[in-house]
Amino acid sequence: MGDRSLIDLPKVNRRRLLKASGAVGGALTMPYFFTRRGSAQAKKLSFWQFYSPNSSGTGVATQDQWFQDTVKAWNDQNETQVELVFTPVADYLNGSKLQTAFASGEGPDIFIISPGDFLRYANGGVLQDLTPHMDQAAIDDFYEGVIASRMVDNKVYALPMEVEPMAMYYSVEAFDSAGLTEADVPTTWEQLLAVAEKLTTDERFGVLFETIPGYYQNFTWYPFMWQGGGDFVAEDGKTSKMREPGSVAALKLWQDAVNKGIAPREVLGNGGGDIGANLVSGYCAMQNVGIWALSDLKVNNPDFKYGVFKLPLPDGGTYTTDLGGWAFCANSKGQDPETAAKFCVWALGSTAADSVQRVADWCTSAKSDMPPRKSVLENDAAKAAYAEGGLKVFAEQILPGGRAEPRLPPEVYKAVSDAIQATQLGGSDPVKAADTAATQIETFLATYKGVPIL
Amino acid sequence: MTFPSAGESVETAARHYTAVVPRRSGLSRKHREWLAAALFLLPDALGLFVFLGIPMVLALSLGFFEVSGFGDYTFIGLDNYRQMLKDPLFTKSLKVTATYVVIFVPALYVSGLGLALLVKQRLPFMPLFRAMLFLPNVISLVVIGLIWRFMLVERRGMVNKVLTQLGFEGRSWLGDPNTALYALLVVSIWFLAGYYMLIFLAGLQEIPREFYEASRIDGASAWRMFRDITIPLLKPTSFFVLLTATVTAVAGGQGFDLVFVMTQGGPANSTSLIVFYIYQQAFQFSHYGYAAAMASFLVAVLVCLTGILFVVTKGGRFEFD
Repeated sequence: MGDRSLIDLPKVNRRRLLKASGAVGGALTMPYFFTRRGSAQAKKLSFWQFYSPNSSGTGVATQDQWFQDTVKAWNDQNETQVELVFTPVADYLNGSKLQTAFASGEGPDIFIISPGDFLRYANGGVLQDLTPHMDQAAIDDFYEGVIASRMVDNKVYALPMEVEPMAMYYSVEAFDSAGLTEADVPTTWEQLLAVAEKLTTDERFGVLFETIPGYYQNFTWYPFMWQGGGDFVAEDGKTSKMREPGSVAALKLWQDAVNKGIAPREVLGNGGGDIGANLVSGYCAMQNVGIWALSDLKVNNPDFKYGVFKLPLPDGGTYTTDLGGWAFCANSKGQDPETAAKFCVWALGSTAADSVQRVADWCTSAKSDMPPRKSVLENDAAKAAYAEGGLKVFAEQILPGGRAEPRLPPEVYKAVSDAIQATQLGGSDPVKAADTAATQIETFLATYKGVPIL
Repeated sequence: MTFPSAGESVETAARHYTAVVPRRSGLSRKHREWLAAALFLLPDALGLFVFLGIPMVLALSLGFFEVSGFGDYTFIGLDNYRQMLKDPLFTKSLKVTATYVVIFVPALYVSGLGLALLVKQRLPFMPLFRAMLFLPNVISLVVIGLIWRFMLVERRGMVNKVLTQLGFEGRSWLGDPNTALYALLVVSIWFLAGYYMLIFLAGLQEIPREFYEASRIDGASAWRMFRDITIPLLKPTSFFVLLTATVTAVAGGQGFDLVFVMTQGGPANSTSLIVFYIYQQAFQFSHYGYAAAMASFLVAVLVCLTGILFVVTKGGRFEFD
């Protein structure tokens, strides 16, 4: 005990300890309350997407910049500020961040969605009606097929920023090494398999289709189904056309390509939409991918020589392709839905010149897409962009005859996805797989009461 | 003031002291110790209650509702549980999980114990080998999954390159439903074997050396010593390994991460572990109620499995004292 007197510790009793704890606790929590008040004064609308601000360098810099410029232009003119929130693309497409945020009532004020996911949010009642902020002229300026999948009861709930047709890309070097020329570019499914066989080596697959199950794989498979007359849902809205020969043939085409060893069972990088990891790396000689690959190649692989051609057809088939693309939408349960809706319209859906220019810039400079608005093609710079190179091929050959990406509930998507996977990689009989999918879809349609499937 | 003061007897001073010192609380020593123990346990118990207990109860309750994912809840009784009975993908995911568990647990046990016996030998560089075998555990599973995915790719992956050099035919390990689950199992076991090696190593070092010395004098073979000394005295460790490996396998401890990164449940749902299917139903299809019902079912299965393990091994002792 003598040691204690030598050290001479200050006396700490319980009351002092409690006082000290209270003071420390108060000091730690007070800033929270002040911050809350501060944040209420300077409201910021969150804008979730997978382009910006992307410091990882994995994206395309021009697209990151376009988003930053758009938000800066809005913030300079408006009191209510918009803040970009980046989510990696894989997490945005197949992850849980967006869904969890909405489930907990903390969804973003503004976000982007694809037609494939439109029904989830439309049926959930979280999409703000954008129509009151739009002129009829602006609505009419969007291509009918493109805006239709974002409308319910003649009201616009999302504004497309782009139109992304699917096509086939090929490596000129691979064609050269196999003794093939541009004249050998396939126009039928039969030719596609034959050319792919010639291009296949020990190191390289002749043709690549997406193999990872998910919305994207379905999206890339739809045109093959439509070309032969297949579909998910018949005109009556109650039966499925998955049993039609067109649907079965499309399942068989992808299966044949894998069974012949000319298409891979796995894709590299970020999946079938990643042209750098697959076509450029030499993993495949032809790749089924969308228009966005043009800008990817231009920015990340400017020296790579390639060609683009429209999707080949089955015997007696009618040409079509899938017109995908993302759209801005506002959360009707966000902190300020009206301002969020105004932002979406200001950015992409106004008749003002800067709004049209913004869409033109996105489709021709930042990215490589077809425009969702007719007036963009009246823009001189855009006209020039679509008059040359890959964009010209898309504008003149690939886009015409295209069909907008369908909006489907998850139940229908999953039934189709299982049929694709079962045949492409599981070796199932396409007729049986298509029948199973059709039965599942019809069971679902019998009780479905949501927004119409398109 | 000093005690005793002048002229005061020790007895009087003692009474005085008793009078001025405040009475301690009326709790007995036993109760005070109980209170102290409770206070020490409180933070942990509170954490478990808030972050585990409440979510479990909420998940169990959620299983009786149809949940839109946007704030709407409709009570539907046992409908979600009835749907499980007629959902072929749920049945398929159960089969996939059962296959995974049946291979994963024994393989992890054997590889963990085998490595522990190996690195217990007094040979040069053994600490380095131990460290290398444990190394996968300090790397993110996502990184592990991405690296293995690249190594297993058909025609271009390192595994197939080596196989081709050795005269075997390469194949798409993750793209073929016949091999994808087994490829995932190899990666899972490779990842965890080092961790279980350490646990077995600790168990082996608990066994007194005198037992081995005595049996060696009696002329016992290495196999006999392993069978009659090592295995019986490792029973508590074995129980721990079996229990944690089973829970890890059923609940998708590391399986979920690998499936998410390497296969997304494909090809053709061949790697769709039950935890991944629950995730899909909840976060990709917004069927939160159905996912919660499946999660509750999974908890019930786990409780049964661990209960069986406790009964069979008599709580890890394997035999009554």
